[in-house]
Amino acid sequence: MSHEAFTQLVDAHYAPLYRFALSLAKNPADAGDLVQQTFFIWATKGHALRDAGKAKSWLFTTLYREFLRGRRREARVTSVEDLPPGEADLPAEETDRVQRMDAALVIEALQEVDEVFRAPLTLFYLEDLSYLEIATALDVPIGTVMSRLSRGKTQLRAALARREAVGQAKVVAFTDFKQRQQP
Amino acid sequence: MNNNEAKFLLRAYRPGGRDAATPAFAEALGQAQRDPALGAWFAREQAFDLVVAEKLRTIAPPPGLREAILAGASVSQASRETSRWPVWFAVAASVALLLGLATWRLKTAAPMEPLTAFALHDARFEKHGGHGEAAAELKQVLENPATRLAAGLPIDFARLRTTGCRTLSFSGHDVIEICFERGGSEFHIYVAQRADFPQLAAATAPHLARQDGWSAEQWADARHIYVVATSADPAALRALL
Repeated sequence: MSHEAFTQLVDAHYAPLYRFALSLAKNPADAGDLVQQTFFIWATKGHALRDAGKAKSWLFTTLYREFLRGRRREARVTSVEDLPPGEADLPAEETDRVQRMDAALVIEALQEVDEVFRAPLTLFYLEDLSYLEIATALDVPIGTVMSRLSRGKTQLRAALARREAVGQAKVVAFTDFKQRQQP
Repeated sequence: MNNNEAKFLLRAYRPGGRDAATPAFAEALGQAQRDPALGAWFAREQAFDLVVAEKLRTIAPPPGLREAILAGASVSQASRETSRWPVWFAVAASVALLLGLATWRLKTAAPMEPLTAFALHDARFEKHGGHGEAAAELKQVLENPATRLAAGLPIDFARLRTTGCRTLSFSGHDVIEICFERGGSEFHIYVAQRADFPQLAAATAPHLARQDGWSAEQWADARHIYVVATSADPAALRALL
């Protein structure tokens, strides 16, 4: 792949990949590392992908696998597949409430969603991948994606409600990259 | 299909209508059009999803991430492409590249080394921390006014890595970072193993790079590649070396 084509690929996908990584890794530094690592793998192996149209799915899949690889090293993954579904309908005023919320608070609420639901939910909200592509990227059956989206949304709404209840406390974790901590 | 089944499907329908042509949603969408209660539920669901999607889109990647990706990839690509050719070709290409670079550098400012770009990005935008006995020892050396960094540093890479020092990943390899102060200015030194980046190790003498008020010097010795980055005056940076 030429340098120009690679630059185009980065420009097209690094921002949504970063958002996906941020929802998974929960901090900007690790999210940035995940995105860099994903493109590094592309630079070393991605050229073997025959269908250029699948590059986007490949990148999301690779980023997710890299995240899981890191997680396996750190901690066990809690199985939450057997959680009760809890699919209460959405109150009409909830959309207005979220509309008023700071984006960082919404992302923080998204990060509270259990990891197994968070990955498909974030991909869904990024709108880059269809439910079929999400199933491929996460290597789970289509029905599982739908189920996880449904449950993930329920958890997200609960997390958003908690965030709002906590108040309007300002969250800077996702914007204040220049804040420094000295060793 | 009852309404609960329709809801189950429609929760996977992306806001913005991208899935409008997907056959799997057709029946559920038709049902939402016919059933006012389901239609109202679907409208609320889509409005909520749209708001969350819009909020998510406002999260911007950190400045410099794009440049760091491109820099890291160019290193890995250079490494991969070199390995495909016979040694004689690589040597000839290296000579030609060095001659070309030498000529080019006479005419233009020096291009930024990928590791330098990575270090500048990290120094400017990332959170710094990490301690360890080995890092504290090295920090003492770095903060000693008599120490000239380019004259040699007591680096035990493996020990630094295992005693809690801040370790970053650049192009799949570890880079250790330590913050230190000298003369009231703050500096960040990045240390990589030369064996991990053979294509970066050609330049052993320090050379300066500048970006948005920040400066960095990169050099190498027999075992390691170093970058020191600071927002202090470049003269203060030079004085370290």
